[in-house]
Amino acid sequence: MTAHTERAAGRATPPSERTDTAAEGRTGELADALAALVGREHVRVEPGQLAAYARDATPLFHAPPDVVVFPGSTAEVAAVLRLATERGVPVVPRGAGSNLCAGTVALHGGVMLVLTRLNRVLEISPGELLARVQTGVTTAQLADAAGDAGLLYAPDPGSRTVSTVGGNVATCAGGLRGLKYGVTRNYVLGLEAVLPTGEIVRTGGRLWKDVAGYDLTRLLTGSEGTLAVITEVTVALLPKPADTGTGVAYFDSLADASRAVAAVIAAGVVPATLEFLDRKCIEAVEAFAGLGLRTDAGALLLFGDDGDPSVVAGNLSRIQEVCTAAGALEVTLAENVARADALLAARRCGLPALSRLGSLTILEDATVPRHRLAEMVGRIDEIAERHGLLIATFGHAGDGNLHPTCVVDPDDTGAVERAHQAFGEIFAAALALDGTITGEHGVGAAKLPYLADRLGDDQMALLRRIKHAFDPAGILNPGKLGS
Amino acid sequence: MTTEPPQPGPPAEGPGTGRGLFDKQQLDRCISCGFCLPACPTYSLTGDEASSPRGRITLMRALETGELPADDPTLAEESSYCLGCRACETVCPAGVEYGQLLEQWRDHQWSGPKRPWIVRLLTALVARPFLLRLQGLVRRHARPSGGGPADGPSLMLGCVERGLYPAVSRAALRLRPELNVPPGQGCCGALHAHNGDSATGKALAEELGRRLPGTLVTTAGGCAAHLAHHLGPDRVREFGDHLHREGHVPAGRVTVDGRPARVGLQDSCHLRNGLGVTRPPRELIAAVAEYVEVPGAGDCCGAAGTYAMLRPADSRAVLDPKLAALAEADLDFVVAVNPGCLRQLRQGLRRTGARARAVHLAELLALAEEDRT
Repeated sequence: MTAHTERAAGRATPPSERTDTAAEGRTGELADALAALVGREHVRVEPGQLAAYARDATPLFHAPPDVVVFPGSTAEVAAVLRLATERGVPVVPRGAGSNLCAGTVALHGGVMLVLTRLNRVLEISPGELLARVQTGVTTAQLADAAGDAGLLYAPDPGSRTVSTVGGNVATCAGGLRGLKYGVTRNYVLGLEAVLPTGEIVRTGGRLWKDVAGYDLTRLLTGSEGTLAVITEVTVALLPKPADTGTGVAYFDSLADASRAVAAVIAAGVVPATLEFLDRKCIEAVEAFAGLGLRTDAGALLLFGDDGDPSVVAGNLSRIQEVCTAAGALEVTLAENVARADALLAARRCGLPALSRLGSLTILEDATVPRHRLAEMVGRIDEIAERHGLLIATFGHAGDGNLHPTCVVDPDDTGAVERAHQAFGEIFAAALALDGTITGEHGVGAAKLPYLADRLGDDQMALLRRIKHAFDPAGILNPGKLGS
Repeated sequence: MTTEPPQPGPPAEGPGTGRGLFDKQQLDRCISCGFCLPACPTYSLTGDEASSPRGRITLMRALETGELPADDPTLAEESSYCLGCRACETVCPAGVEYGQLLEQWRDHQWSGPKRPWIVRLLTALVARPFLLRLQGLVRRHARPSGGGPADGPSLMLGCVERGLYPAVSRAALRLRPELNVPPGQGCCGALHAHNGDSATGKALAEELGRRLPGTLVTTAGGCAAHLAHHLGPDRVREFGDHLHREGHVPAGRVTVDGRPARVGLQDSCHLRNGLGVTRPPRELIAAVAEYVEVPGAGDCCGAAGTYAMLRPADSRAVLDPKLAALAEADLDFVVAVNPGCLRQLRQGLRRTGARARAVHLAELLALAEEDRT
């Protein structure tokens, strides 16, 4: 384990110290108690079954739970949590495990609470422009169900085909349409959630305007499974835009592309999508998707908009003009929807495609104010060069949200160490530019060591008091937010 | 692009001895993003990470590092539960060649006494050329002939297909009489490679490559992908792909009660996911009949080589939604491009009393030759 993960893992007990005979007996007894609640077939205790749940999509974090349990209803979730609080056993809620902050790694062992069986779309209400789904429905399933009713679910995380809506809410996922539409938080109207003590709460509801009481819906959104287990989500939908359009502008460098982003916004255009990729990312995505992207350019800007056809056409052509004036090598518009979809789909695969360059791919998530994007890009380049690392950068340029991604050989411990140092410096640089340490991936275990740098000690203490109010026994996702 | 698979060693014992089983570059390439989850038929049945491609790669890693002992029951169960359909490969942006990793995993998992007896029997049978010749005496497949120039394309008879569906090779030869049918053909080794003996699988593919000069044309998608991996994609063509490239023009149409037949397709997983061949069979069908795209045509049918024999209940669970989709589509024929899929569909359609008949692509196209309208 590297210094970084030791620091992040905090008080995690290595699995080897947990598997004494007495602990095995306790685990067996716990598994029996859980089986009585959810059925034996929905409990896993074999080492191999547990090993499969040792990771999420975050590299370098790895710890198996003691038991995996698959509840089939909110009542079963409540029963499991009540039991865990009584016994002081850690519980890690998990959707598809596609998060990039080690939010669903069981650093302290205990129960992995897998919510994939709660996978029904309960309701689409075109009249109220909302949908109600169980927590384990994937983002794409929700978007498709909304689309079938002529509606749009606006949040669009890159992992949409895999990630669950519950997970999106827990991490407050962002995505490719963030510039115009915001992040998951902006669409959550109400939640059903289970507190660690087993109480079932319903926050918010079905209304756009509802200011009664503390906004617990917002508090739970982005709470990363540390305050409650979300079991049902009510989200706002929008009318499906009549038209969509997408284009690509190529630049000599990422800094040039960043300046073009600022120019686009300054020109008064706020498109749905403004994404950029540097040369290494273009090459990787092209190797996967084969779209005929120009791999000789230093960077590309992928832009897109939706709405009334005339508005879309007008905005795209305005962006085309601005990019050209900002020194674009070439600007092209996607000739049809299929081509536009292919471009967006390829962009969503930026991270995994990059792993073609080397075996260990560490992606990070920092955000700066939009007008400081070019400055941040310059700092990342400088940091990468100084540490002798390959850091490719892509991201949601329109939101100032960057994903610097370091590709190293996992057997080169020196390089892994240098990558951690480099990311520490990248986060510090983001904070120095009035930015933040995560724009959309969450804090999890991976970024907990940096959280105090962003929030300060007062807020950290308040977070812990809130955590204690929800979870007095401290069983829910320990080692993450509020720890 | 592909690297040499490690040679299977003696069965690993105890923790720590799994090292070297896998192509490490392939294992490392998986970054656990989970993009593969929605594509996986077993994950969609269970929702359990262990039965997903990402989870299975995590298990392989645990075997490799010794975190799990070689005899761990979940390793055995999951390596067997996987269909090997490779649908995960098509959606993997990182380009993990999961099919290769699965072969390496099964080399370990199904070595020595752990080898299922059905697998032993089948691989032993098909690896013996005289038994394959015997099949030809019992059931009349395409007879050895010299239709074209000696270095021209050769029709590979396929060890399973020549026994179960000899009419397929006869139909293929009727459509392309210029194909050579060299005598003394063996097995391509796909069966071995998919069932824990990749060394024999490779040796048999290379041996067949020596016996059949020039391009090898096969009516089995699984054989095509396996041969292409070992002999190079330029030497191997699946039959539909071959017809397509040769610009095959059908002589007639396939009709039912005077109207064009309604025909759907079941993709062969290895053809679709391994070689990316999807358009040729569809266009060939559309040229002779009314082509109907059945939802889920690209999803595994559950035949998966020996899978339907080794795990009949699981195989059926994978097939059932497909049978429902086929019934919904109201077809006259459903076309398969692989003998295992053909067997699976015929059994399933019979069991549910469906109207549609399952035929091989070559058989459907040969029907069109009869019906000259």
